Amino acid sequence: MSEVDRAKALKMAEVEMEYRVDLFTRLSSVCFDKCIDHKYKDGDLNVGENSCVDRCSSKYWQVVGIVGQLLGANQQQPPR
Amino acid sequence: MIDEMQTRDSLKMYNRLVERCFSNCVDTFRRKNLDKDEEKCVSKCTEKFLKHSARASLRFNELNAEAAGMPAPPQ
Repeated sequence: MSEVDRAKALKMAEVEMEYRVDLFTRLSSVCFDKCIDHKYKDGDLNVGENSCVDRCSSKYWQVVGIVGQLLGANQQQPPR
Repeated sequence: MIDEMQTRDSLKMYNRLVERCFSNCVDTFRRKNLDKDEEKCVSKCTEKFLKHSARASLRFNELNAEAAGMPAPPQ
């Protein structure tokens, strides 16, 4: 691998990592808002909150898939 | 450089769009899979957003051209 290729691959990995971090931040904040009782009676997640967060993450992941597919169909370069 | 910025921007836009459509379309967490209505809502939300941004950018370009003193190109 040439020096230039290596630099390019590194840059792409960086962009990809940024995307993943942004994705996680959003998933986590949306699911927090949707699942966690904002009265904060207890520092622990209760049973309902736990399973809500599990399902919320799973649904969010599916939405990533649907939107990605539609964006890919619309533009030539599908972000994954 | 430009290429990398474009990739970055489109990934950002992707994330924002997912967040927006998820927030607007998904509100119940009794199951771990999206139901049909939620799926439909997400698809329509995405399509609408894309059409919206196409139209908004058209108008934005017209306004920009006007501001620069050039007559807007006919659409």
